[in-house]
Amino acid sequence: MVNYGGDEVSALVLDIGTSTVRAGYAGDDTPKAIIPTSYGFKKDASAEEDVSMTEPGEEGDASPKPSPKVTMYVGNNGPTVWREGMEVAHPVRDGLIQDFGPIPALASYAFRDVMRCDPTEHPLLVTEPAWNTASNRERMAEIMFEDFGVPAFYIANTGVLNAFAAGKGSALVIDIGHDTASVTPVIDGFVLRKGLAHSALPQLVRAHAHHLLTSSNSSRPGIQLLPHQLIANKQAVDAGVPPRFTLRADRQAGTTESWRKWYEDREVEEWIQAVAGVLDQGWNEQAAAQRGARHYEFATGYNYYFGSERFSVGEQFFTHSPQLVASNPNLPKSIPALITQSLSACDPDIRQVLMGNVVLTGGGSLFAGLSERLSNELSRNFAHVKIHAPGNPTERRYGGWLGGSILASLGTFHQLWISKEEWQEHGSKIVAQRCK
Amino acid sequence: MASGVGVNQNVLDTYQELKLGKKHKYIVFGLSPDNTEIVVTKTSSDNSYETFLADLPEAECRWAIYDFEFERPGEGKRNKLLFVTWAPDDAKIKQKMLFASSKDALRRSLVGISTEIQGTDYSEVAYESVLDKASRGSH
Repeated sequence: MVNYGGDEVSALVLDIGTSTVRAGYAGDDTPKAIIPTSYGFKKDASAEEDVSMTEPGEEGDASPKPSPKVTMYVGNNGPTVWREGMEVAHPVRDGLIQDFGPIPALASYAFRDVMRCDPTEHPLLVTEPAWNTASNRERMAEIMFEDFGVPAFYIANTGVLNAFAAGKGSALVIDIGHDTASVTPVIDGFVLRKGLAHSALPQLVRAHAHHLLTSSNSSRPGIQLLPHQLIANKQAVDAGVPPRFTLRADRQAGTTESWRKWYEDREVEEWIQAVAGVLDQGWNEQAAAQRGARHYEFATGYNYYFGSERFSVGEQFFTHSPQLVASNPNLPKSIPALITQSLSACDPDIRQVLMGNVVLTGGGSLFAGLSERLSNELSRNFAHVKIHAPGNPTERRYGGWLGGSILASLGTFHQLWISKEEWQEHGSKIVAQRCK
Repeated sequence: MASGVGVNQNVLDTYQELKLGKKHKYIVFGLSPDNTEIVVTKTSSDNSYETFLADLPEAECRWAIYDFEFERPGEGKRNKLLFVTWAPDDAKIKQKMLFASSKDALRRSLVGISTEIQGTDYSEVAYESVLDKASRGSH
């Protein structure tokens, strides 16, 4: 393991993504706690077999939660575990925290239950996307100072952190996450706001894969995406043969729609990560067929060798079929469209600097073949393109966290923290003054 | 966003020696061993551009000021002060982070620079590409 830090290990770093919350000590090379951002909840708190985290709505002011009798299930044994009548909700939408209700519970679980540390003893650096709102970051500061009692706080932009972690003061950061793909131009360590572009492209890719898997085609029937928690037993079957399994009858009634949907999404995501890919030179049926089939087995026991169809999934990152565009006017922008939108808002002389310093990051960018294809697409349209994509998957997946980890570990950075005393004296407006 | 790293007084003095006194051809800057200050790591009056490139280490970050002299066809000689940010891909991620977040402190303290070069490999700081950038911005 490479030791990235060294100066100071007392600060904490918290990075809240759409899919996972990452928390750890500054100076470390990987987050100590990686937990799902989604959480499970039950309105009726009668069957309490697990620890209930917090009662949202107690804080009074914001977060209008209907009933105070809500039990929340967060963390690694939270939404992933089947519970009768448990719904799953997602606090992060569009890269932004839309519902602050579960945030204290999630942060507390990460700090206290996984890391076993006391947040009142450590300065805390939180990351935010470039399009975060002023009220959102102030709310975050308020939660951390008031609820968690952190001694110092800083909120840093993931785009800038990713650029800096690549050694670049100026860069075009392409961040492909679980739900959101974004293009952020960074010039001399500051985000060029007018050049910001983002879309829900990864969701479209997943929807495409979901549709592909569940609908039948000439060589196979539609596939049932059932989570393993709902399957009582299954038998081994040959590839392409209908699965033989029995469902857990006792769990049929208590399974909520939101939980099933969330789990189906995970099944699709796993299939994508294992099997799907993108061709490096654009869509070509023959080239796709030549790449060979890949085997994948689902929770039902159904298994199949996926041929060229697995490459049509990745194509959604770059091109959308005319029919799809016609049928959906609000289609999320493709990566090339996002880049074009971003660059057209920048001065021409800046564009060249940006294209020479493209930083590719985010867990979604690990999609097989994506960086090669992106490089080919961009080289076709721009003269000097250089893409920096960390080869180490951890650096790519947790790039924002890692950048924050290094920054917060620097001895010299400590003069920039917002201290608790400053927060008490100046209130929320100090966040915008200090964290630029 | 900045790292809070400071600039040593010697950096400013050496820069003035290059800019006004023409005592040096180039200056290379780095960080002090405890990563709190930007310091001068090398000065040279060697006129060969290749010697300068040899002073940019393969796997470590640096900044540099280079007094770049070139001929404009029909207009005679020009001199430009280049500011080079050197962050090779093979450098440690912590160092890249430190240099990228400290650059602004150094850059702001040096007045009179006309061209900035951001380099991650030797092709980006090669003579031709630098000449191209330097001559483009001059009128």
